[in-house]
Amino acid sequence: MPTIEIDFEDLECLLGVDLPRDSEKLNGILSYVKGEVKLLEHNELHIELQDTNRPDLWCTEGVARALKGFLNIEKGLKNYRVAGSSGVEVHVDPKLKEIRPYIACSVVKGVQVSDTLIREIMRLQDKLDETYGRHRKRTSIGLYEFDLITPPLRYSVAEPREVRFTPLEFEEELTLEEILDKHPKGIEYGHIVRPYSVWPILMDSKHDVLSFPPIINSNDLGRLTENTKNVLIEVTGTAHDTVLNALTIITLSLADRGGSMYSAKIHYPYGGIKETRTPRLKTETLKITTKEIKTVLGMDLKPQEIRDLLERARFGVPNIHETEVTVEVPRYRVDVMHPVDVIEDIAIAYDLNRVPPRWPQLSTIGGTSPEGRLRNLIREVMVGLGFQEVLTFTMSNSDTLFAKMNIENEGVVEVANPKILSMTCLRNWLLPSLMELLSKNTHVGYPQRIFEVGYCVTSDEDQENKTEDVEKLASITIHSNASFTEMKSLLDAVLLNLGIQYELEEIEHKSFVDGRVGEIAINNRKAGIIGEVHPKVLENWKLENPAAAFEISVDRLREATHPQIS
Amino acid sequence: MSELRENELKTLIALRDAGGRDSVDKIVETTGLAHAGVMRAAMSLGEKDLVKSHETKRTKINLNNEGKDYAKNGLPERRLIKALKKLGGEAPIDTVTSEASLDKDLSPIALGWCATKGWAKVERKTGRIRLLSEPPEEPDEKLLSALDREGSLILEELEKEPRETFLLLKRRKIIEIDEDTLRELELTEKGWRTAKRGLEVVEEISQLTPELIVTGLWRETNIRKYNIRAPVARVWPGKKHPYLMFLDEVKEKLVAFGFKEMTGPIVELSFFNCDNLYMPQDHPAREIHDMYFIKAPTHGDLTSYKQILNNVKETHENGWKTGSRGWGYKFSTREAGRLVLRSQTTPVSVRTLLSKELEIPGKYFSIARCYRPDVVDKTHLTEFNQLEGIVVGEGLTLHELLGILEKFALEIAEADEIRFNPGYFPFTEPSVELHAYKEGYGWMEFGGSGIFRPEVTLPLGINVPVLAWGLGVERLFMMRAGIDDIRYLFTQDLDWLRQRGMI
Repeated sequence: MPTIEIDFEDLECLLGVDLPRDSEKLNGILSYVKGEVKLLEHNELHIELQDTNRPDLWCTEGVARALKGFLNIEKGLKNYRVAGSSGVEVHVDPKLKEIRPYIACSVVKGVQVSDTLIREIMRLQDKLDETYGRHRKRTSIGLYEFDLITPPLRYSVAEPREVRFTPLEFEEELTLEEILDKHPKGIEYGHIVRPYSVWPILMDSKHDVLSFPPIINSNDLGRLTENTKNVLIEVTGTAHDTVLNALTIITLSLADRGGSMYSAKIHYPYGGIKETRTPRLKTETLKITTKEIKTVLGMDLKPQEIRDLLERARFGVPNIHETEVTVEVPRYRVDVMHPVDVIEDIAIAYDLNRVPPRWPQLSTIGGTSPEGRLRNLIREVMVGLGFQEVLTFTMSNSDTLFAKMNIENEGVVEVANPKILSMTCLRNWLLPSLMELLSKNTHVGYPQRIFEVGYCVTSDEDQENKTEDVEKLASITIHSNASFTEMKSLLDAVLLNLGIQYELEEIEHKSFVDGRVGEIAINNRKAGIIGEVHPKVLENWKLENPAAAFEISVDRLREATHPQIS
Repeated sequence: MSELRENELKTLIALRDAGGRDSVDKIVETTGLAHAGVMRAAMSLGEKDLVKSHETKRTKINLNNEGKDYAKNGLPERRLIKALKKLGGEAPIDTVTSEASLDKDLSPIALGWCATKGWAKVERKTGRIRLLSEPPEEPDEKLLSALDREGSLILEELEKEPRETFLLLKRRKIIEIDEDTLRELELTEKGWRTAKRGLEVVEEISQLTPELIVTGLWRETNIRKYNIRAPVARVWPGKKHPYLMFLDEVKEKLVAFGFKEMTGPIVELSFFNCDNLYMPQDHPAREIHDMYFIKAPTHGDLTSYKQILNNVKETHENGWKTGSRGWGYKFSTREAGRLVLRSQTTPVSVRTLLSKELEIPGKYFSIARCYRPDVVDKTHLTEFNQLEGIVVGEGLTLHELLGILEKFALEIAEADEIRFNPGYFPFTEPSVELHAYKEGYGWMEFGGSGIFRPEVTLPLGINVPVLAWGLGVERLFMMRAGIDDIRYLFTQDLDWLRQRGMI
């Protein structure tokens, strides 16, 4: 969910109307573009946009353009026309095919450059690079002072030490390799080009370096100032469509600021590329049937109504009749992939709060999952025995699961990118979570009796997800007279109430006192464990009272219970 | 008479037998009760106007160390004349004092008192002393012995003679004086009447026993009265976890609306968590800071889903038969097999759509544990529960999308007012956000819903509309429970769990 930071007055200016300064009222308006006010202070407005697929909205111009339609200020397709050819030709080196194959350029002349504009454009450029451009890997944008450049341009490659130029914000010339090592952008994005033996470079006919895509512009040519009148925009990247889309969006933004757009021609050495004159502004035509619209929205809209709503969403409607609508989709609407994307806009323009809600007329029988019935019975029995239910995390760590429990690490399902030190894996047994809870309550009155029915996860090669979710019931009693006997009485109570017979087998388990621990078996299958907690474990958890516990697999219980219950 | 307790009865009887008035100490002796018992009885009998209490201040006298020495060895002057008699009735002073073993402190005292009492004559000029008289034991000596014998005496209880002699001993500074309180109880008129009616002491017990019941001997006992308002020990009932109870309630409501519960695994294949949901593989939300990836093994097994995997691949790349343009990138089937901790409940819905048990029409829900890499603080958890579901059936439209949210808002969130906003999910279009207004809380976002994109349903072989919906149960519970820290949902605070009321 990208957040954009814009100038409140700038937005009002572009809209041509005053906006309410009240957050709630403003949210009502911004909801048309799925936006929400995150901050409104003096002239600063931060808007959180829900749609990650609408890069056209990531700038004031885009928001203004969209809102103008919904607010009935300016409807229909916005007439974006290229004024002519800029005369710029770009020649692409074949070696870039495996590195960063695509480039698109445009020139915008007569822009009213101001501080606000520079700030806006740079923010949009950043946002596009980061989100739409996937941290510049997919696309990256460069802006240049057009009057300082001599076309034609060469989008070429160079060896890391072959070329030198002064990167933006620096004062001395560096080689490409040095830029990667010393310049902040080189450090951040260098990984994109490092795998290759040669790196992309953009130069003009005088061999002046415009930039080192996707890393950094030249300080001489790649900087916009208040004196800039004409801007060259360039986008390079790994997917042609996205490169063209990024160029369209940023070019239109500058056009919305009073500039005239001029095209450039790209000469590719590799075949099969159709759109070589950029920017790509031509609209796409989509034919949608009124039946389709009705199927999704459920509303009977007249053709004229549909046309009006579509125009408020800034679509063009060259043709409409009873059964079909022809929609012209502006190029900056990169999110439109299927008619449903257009149909949603009809609903938004209509106003969702005018649509009568209807409870689905479907006859269905409800029910909780079969697993839920036994689970709830178990919980009832435990509560009836006086135990407090607790709820703990399934994520844990090996210290909690093994070291503190006095046993060896048996292997657990770990995550590769943990965010918190104490949550690095999924627990394979439940008792440690309960012990941890007890250790946080030594100042609270005893006796303490707790239980949980929760999931543990173990590795299982045979499953498609290589793991198995195991539901367990675990329970601990802790107080000055806690004993195995007490716990066994409880285990009896639980299992016999569920109609389950079980056997105990003497085993050794280092979490429990030797000679006071048993394996619970149901129908000759291992089902759980019961015992007095080992004093070493109590010490590890800084507990001062004896404790007894059991842990049993609910799945085993399910298998053993009468079909009526499970 | 059964209103009187055992110690009250015993005290009354003792007073009656003592003639109506006696000291507390004597009553303690007679009744065998503890001092505190008699005092308690006195207080309660006093409240019932059966007994009056008297307190008299008295003087207690006893010997100090010097006095004890005189008592043991005799008054110094007595010692002197005894020695003098032995020496023949007349002798030099030093000889006599020596004979009497009087040290230099006691000699002047002895000589002085001999002279005062007229027992001997001291001649300073010659340094000689002559016996005059040797009377038998005098009153002061009698008192001295008495004090020595008794340890202490009450001045007011002494007869006239020793009382006057006390002043003498006091003047000699061999007496210690203490204040003493005499406590006495006296029957009132009502007390006399009660006592005269005849009292019987009935044994009091504090606990009925099986024996008393069975033998019928309970009839001969009084069960001691309790202070029923006295505080007692705290007990904690076994209880379900408040958050789980709340989720149970929500489940019940959903079942009542005709929803069936679905379940799915915690560790998911990317295929179900993302790809099937039309999230492109290079979508920012699929990066390491938005999902937990499994360390080992890194990939799972997709062989059961060959056909669907292919459908999804084509859909992502070029839209396939869905009528969509597709994402236009190269789909990696290997990436689809990547194992993650599910970051949303929607994969459970996808599995349900694929399952043989799917019913059309059908309404489903799932409350699943989900995981996202996040630091845990007041408003974020890294492991949390999500409530999501689907409605599958012919003829489902935007109307029903809103209808479901409205019902949930009114019945589950108990909202006072609702509002729909355009929303966004990668797998639905159109999408709606639900905002609900609750008195005292203002407007809050409670959930969202959307119609699954054809790019999601068609590859799965579903040809009817599917509505997906989700509710923010955590926020709901926090509002209900009046807590503003999300960590309380998984609290380790046993006190909080114990004290949390069930309503």
